Amino acid sequence: MKRTFANRALGPLVLGVLALLLGYARANGERAQFAQATAALSQSERTALESAPGLAVANAIWALGGESAVKKMLKSELDRLPEADGVARGRVFVRFGIVDSNPDGQAAVFFQACAADQNLCERPALIAAAERETRARFVEPGQHLPLYLTSGHPQVP
Amino acid sequence: MTRALSFDLVWPYVAGAALGYLLGTLAVPLFSALAGRGASTARARVGLVLREDPQAPLAAWAALGADVQAVRTSFASPEREVFDLVVAVRGMDNGGEADFRRAEQFCRALSWPRCDRDALAKLKEQSRP
Repeated sequence: MKRTFANRALGPLVLGVLALLLGYARANGERAQFAQATAALSQSERTALESAPGLAVANAIWALGGESAVKKMLKSELDRLPEADGVARGRVFVRFGIVDSNPDGQAAVFFQACAADQNLCERPALIAAAERETRARFVEPGQHLPLYLTSGHPQVP
Repeated sequence: MTRALSFDLVWPYVAGAALGYLLGTLAVPLFSALAGRGASTARARVGLVLREDPQAPLAAWAALGADVQAVRTSFASPEREVFDLVVAVRGMDNGGEADFRRAEQFCRALSWPRCDRDALAKLKEQSRP
């Protein structure tokens, strides 16, 4: 009786072990390259990667999107980004200032960029950041520095 | 009678194989968790590919397909269509090779001002987070 059971169990057991090795090899092999690379990163790096798809979409809209698509994206970025992420919010405000056609609006938005990211409070740094953003945009409006940054706020007569 | 006998003989093999394969597949994330390494998410894996443009075998790109779909569903329209465009220019569903023809279709559907090849090639670089 015992011998019969052993005989009957041995085949499925061997097959089960082979299947286990196959499953492990598939899960741990070439298919899992990206999973392994991600799992090897620190928790903070993985958290940063979580926001990368959203950032890629925002960058794509900034690169080629029309004015309305860009403004909509910038508003949703400001809703999405936490107050603590000052650098990212500062970048959004700089982009806002570039596509804003009103010098008063530009002044207000660049002030907000400075409030979000202290590195943007000095005029040369703000201009450098704006130049980086204009180089990353391939359609109008937004391919040139705004009036507020090139010649300051227009004089009111 | 014969059919019942065949089933009695076959099912332990089927069950053994299925259980073994399942355990083998689950072993990787289980060992990672036991070793103190957090399991990666679909969003993080897609983020990694977007950030680093890695070289990888076709099997890895095929496995990424499910992750791309998972991330895609997390976006609402029109960001979802923009994500499709990014996926096409970065070749994330094409073994890492940009598919500019599909990208142009997505771009035109978005009614963006420029959808020419030169612009899409620039977008490939610019979409890197």
